[in-house]
Amino acid sequence: MNKEIKKRDSWGSRIGIIMAVAGSAVGLGNFLRFPVQAAQNGGGAFMIPYFVSLLLLGIPLMWIEWTLGRFGGGFGHGTAPGIFHSVWQKNRFIKYFGVIGIFGPLVIFIYYTYIESWTLAYSFFALTGKLQTITDQSGMQAFLRGFQGLEKNQFFCNLKWAYLFFTVTFLLNIFVVYYGIKGGIERLSKIAMPILFICGIILMIRVLTLGTPDLSKPGWNLLNGLGFLWNPDFSALKSSKVWLAAAGQIFFTLSVGIGVILTYASYLSKGDDVVLSGLSAVSTNEFAEVILGGSIIIPAAFVFFGPGQITEIAKSGSFNLGFVTMPLIFGSMSLSFIFAMAWFMLLFLAGITSSVSLAQPAVAFLEDEFNIGRKRAVIIFGVVCFILCQPAIFFLGRGVMDELDFWGGTFCLVLFGTIEAILFAWVFGMENAWAEIHHGADMKIPRIYKFIIKYITPLFLLIILISWFLQDGISVILMKNVPKENIPFVLATRLGLMLLFLILAILVRYAWKRRKGKRG
Amino acid sequence: MNLGGWFFLILSWGFITGLTVFCFLKIFSKKKIE
Repeated sequence: MNKEIKKRDSWGSRIGIIMAVAGSAVGLGNFLRFPVQAAQNGGGAFMIPYFVSLLLLGIPLMWIEWTLGRFGGGFGHGTAPGIFHSVWQKNRFIKYFGVIGIFGPLVIFIYYTYIESWTLAYSFFALTGKLQTITDQSGMQAFLRGFQGLEKNQFFCNLKWAYLFFTVTFLLNIFVVYYGIKGGIERLSKIAMPILFICGIILMIRVLTLGTPDLSKPGWNLLNGLGFLWNPDFSALKSSKVWLAAAGQIFFTLSVGIGVILTYASYLSKGDDVVLSGLSAVSTNEFAEVILGGSIIIPAAFVFFGPGQITEIAKSGSFNLGFVTMPLIFGSMSLSFIFAMAWFMLLFLAGITSSVSLAQPAVAFLEDEFNIGRKRAVIIFGVVCFILCQPAIFFLGRGVMDELDFWGGTFCLVLFGTIEAILFAWVFGMENAWAEIHHGADMKIPRIYKFIIKYITPLFLLIILISWFLQDGISVILMKNVPKENIPFVLATRLGLMLLFLILAILVRYAWKRRKGKRG
Repeated sequence: MNLGGWFFLILSWGFITGLTVFCFLKIFSKKKIE
């Protein structure tokens, strides 16, 4: 190992990094996306492709990222360009593929922080009783649309509140990252994750004890609500869309393919375990998703809105469920403000532990490749990101956020995951990879995973990449579902993203030239 | 909820709880492999 490598930040404890990786993985999708996906794709039967994807895709990718991250960290690199270069030093282009691992999280951070700020705002509205004054769907939808600045109504006449909470949320994120890995991110994760689980367990118990709240409607009960989510429809398994939805859910929920786990793991030392720690982060995330996430919104919505409306509600999308349906449900309970607060705090904590992880790769890139001090790197990151966030706030109704989500939150993830898996198993070589995974390991991985990581995971990823591209990608790229008036905004966003990618690629080139010059 | 629903719920919850307990028990036992 190079002795000239400057001293990098490090984790304070093993539980700290597990909580941080789990915190990065546990996001809004665990509570809003998973139950809807399960209910719409075969109910209990959805768990078959879900667990198959977890075993063949999610867990192997988690191990790959932890191992690659720790390996790259040994060379003083905390982001994908340097990590990929450390793995394949003979190839001078591989570092540019690594740009995706900085670009992706940066793009997600730009819009995710804004969504996260809505949960903080709604926690405030729940605490002050403002939410509880609205008692019907149309009122709650108007409240959300007014808050987002999509319309002027009796609740909001401008973006003032949304912008205020966005600024607070953004500054909170910057504040956490400013204090570094141990003092900021680890400390936040160790406090936020237990509170998140406590909020989730309280809400789960409340929902599971709902019984039959309205005795005049005996069918609207908890057991039928659970049945709506869990009763298996085996015919769904014949559809490739269901398998793709399950694989996609595993991909998004575990935060693999983004680049953040690479960065987090780069702060480990060579002798630290990655096998058991990676598996623990997976199991913590799955606990939050399947056990907590699956027990709150869909069963509660069924009990309060009945079998007639539940299908419609499930189809209305995650935001509608989280910000319209759930406040109405809590509003009709006693001690409504406590449960509504717990719900939005749960979402906020899930959000902030994810968003700080999204900020870290760009900050680590400036620190590691340009020798910029952490505090200065965070300030540069903060200023640039604050500017980049503005279009997502002011042009929300113009398709900007959807476009950012498509490129940063979907396309880059699958592509980056595929590159990582191929690089790890085929370039690094399976024998090296196997030895590297087990260095300092607290448990042995079953040998079957040698075969899975080499053949099944890359093949599975390629199939997902191609099928997803054919199924959704082409229509999005050709803007088939974009209203005419939004096309200029979507095109401008696309151009901006291309420019951002190009700037990052130039920075990578410059960093490598600079390093070469110093050596020479 | 029908029998199939219960089957998938118990199996999923059991698998995840088992995995979580296994991982954290092993972490706190702090034994390294040979």
